[in-house]
Amino acid sequence: MNNNPDGTADTKTGITITTTPEDHLIAWLAALAIAIHIIESVLPSPLPGVKPGLSNVITIVVFVLYGWRTAVWVSMLRVLVGSILIGTFLSPTFMLSFSGAVASLIVLWLASRLPGDGLGPIGLCLLAAMAHMFGQFYIAYLLFIPHEGLFKLLPLLMTAAVVFGIISGIIVRSMLRHLEKDANDITAPNRNEQE
Amino acid sequence: MKCRWLSLLLFATLGLTACSESSPPVHKAKLFTLGTLVDVSVLHEDEATAQRAIDIVEAELAVINTQWHAWRDSPLTSINQQLTKGETITIDATTHAFMQQAQQLATDSQQLFNPAIGSLVALWGFHNDDRPEDAPPTTDKIDALLKQAPSMGDITLTATTLSSSNPAVQLDFGAFAKGYAIDQAIARLKQSGIEHAIVNAGGDLRAIGSKGKRPWRIGIRHPSASGVIASVETHGDESVFTSGNYERFFDFDGRRYHHIIDPRSGHPASGTVSVTVIHRNAATADAAATALFIAGAKQWPQIAQQMGIDEVMLIDDNLTIYMTAEMAKRIHLEISDAEVKIIGDNA
Amino acid sequence: MTRADYFAILFAVLLLPYLYATQWTGDKAGTTASIMNGDETTHASLTENRTLQINGVVGTSTLKIEDGKIRFTASPCLGKQCIHSGWLAHAGEFAACLPNRISVAVLGEEPRFDSINF
Repeated sequence: MNNNPDGTADTKTGITITTTPEDHLIAWLAALAIAIHIIESVLPSPLPGVKPGLSNVITIVVFVLYGWRTAVWVSMLRVLVGSILIGTFLSPTFMLSFSGAVASLIVLWLASRLPGDGLGPIGLCLLAAMAHMFGQFYIAYLLFIPHEGLFKLLPLLMTAAVVFGIISGIIVRSMLRHLEKDANDITAPNRNEQE
Repeated sequence: MKCRWLSLLLFATLGLTACSESSPPVHKAKLFTLGTLVDVSVLHEDEATAQRAIDIVEAELAVINTQWHAWRDSPLTSINQQLTKGETITIDATTHAFMQQAQQLATDSQQLFNPAIGSLVALWGFHNDDRPEDAPPTTDKIDALLKQAPSMGDITLTATTLSSSNPAVQLDFGAFAKGYAIDQAIARLKQSGIEHAIVNAGGDLRAIGSKGKRPWRIGIRHPSASGVIASVETHGDESVFTSGNYERFFDFDGRRYHHIIDPRSGHPASGTVSVTVIHRNAATADAAATALFIAGAKQWPQIAQQMGIDEVMLIDDNLTIYMTAEMAKRIHLEISDAEVKIIGDNA
Repeated sequence: MTRADYFAILFAVLLLPYLYATQWTGDKAGTTASIMNGDETTHASLTENRTLQINGVVGTSTLKIEDGKIRFTASPCLGKQCIHSGWLAHAGEFAACLPNRISVAVLGEEPRFDSINF
């Protein structure tokens, strides 16, 4: 997030944007999400392009630490950059990643409005993973293969979503425990909205 | 509060998956009547309602079968006996409506659909459940009957009486009664609150509504090979009727004689293998399929127009497929090597 | 774990059996393949061994039917995931080539036609 259009002019005009440790962390998390996105793209799936959404792990860490708006940025950045790097930008695969990301962000937004204790990492990951899977599935059905046979895959895909959702929930929980210590040094405005 | 959000989510997900949920069950019945096997498929949530409707249909078809049977003792055979004697017959309102519809269809088809040639059909031996492989009738006998030229035009119909000016008129509603019966069956189903059903009598059918979230799918059997030649999806309320030379026939001396008699020649109509007609009304579709079969590859478009039939497929001896543009738009051919001619595309 | 977490898990646990009950068709041997190219669906019997060439959005996909099974054998797409799906033989099995918009589903018990006209 170092906004520095002209490196040479920098020292003379003195326009420097200082980056906070928070910015660095978000950049790191986005990069990590993109890496996971790329790794995930080579995983086989019964329905091409439909993925379990392991990069949701990062989206949810960001959501818990910095709130929903930042999670949207990281998630969209991940989908865009990830697909440009793989070369699937604007292809059906990209549309599926995008719709999955949007669906899980909608669920996260709903979760952020929950009163009381709200959802912990496991509940967030589980619901986001299911939304992610269903979003991809439904867009695949609507836009690409409106074949009734597709619905036969839904139970398997949703089972995968539940399993991956719980696994990523456990990962997120332990990541948050580690980050919590570091994060204590950072001023995180939206942190722990629900907790 | 929490529960409210979660149940909202639950309903949203269930609502979306419900899109592919299975439709109400189809209740099926096989009825042996009208000299054939009648398949009734009724799609309804409630089995008792479906069964009641099927029972009503069964009773209705039994009545029609006894009323209009062309060769076993029936009210129709006694009408024919009285017509031979030149008597005036008292009829009820149902018979009047039946006769009037048949007479109108005969006129519209330029008498190619001719239910007055019962004696000709009998002469060919088709007034028989299972025609023996005997010799065809001699040309003299056929010509003698043709000279008398019986037609529906000879019939005088009033609200309560029926008479004929031509003693040669012998009624045989083989190309009409089945369609009429299917129409009555569908009417009974509708009265019983059934919105989705198919009544298929020996291969000819009328379908209403749909099979849940998709239309009813109808396969049209290949006239000379195994499998289907084409398929079509019905919408709303439609009848699909086919007249084919493979339905009833006998072989003699290496020649095949089928049951669709051309009233102009007195012989089985030649040149056509089958005609399929899609039309709302089953009785009209029934008569039209027969008339267009007799009309043949050259004359059928004109007769179809007069009868108000838009969707026709005719297959001739060479397996060339002729279709109206309206038929071509909706039918799906299941074979790839056919020669297809689309007729009368005014678009 | 919060109370809402437990609700989320309960929701998932209830949803899965519901999905299996309504959408899963078991592994009955299939009789027909329903092939969808764009918006157009055609059917092919699995009893007849043959090779089908289907022209999709980006090129020609090849499907092979052999001894009651069907599979993609060639595809113009990059990932070749449709080919990796392998043989499909049981009712409900499904393979798709997303870039070429071609999908294959094996149909089981349900007959192709609701009624036959002849």
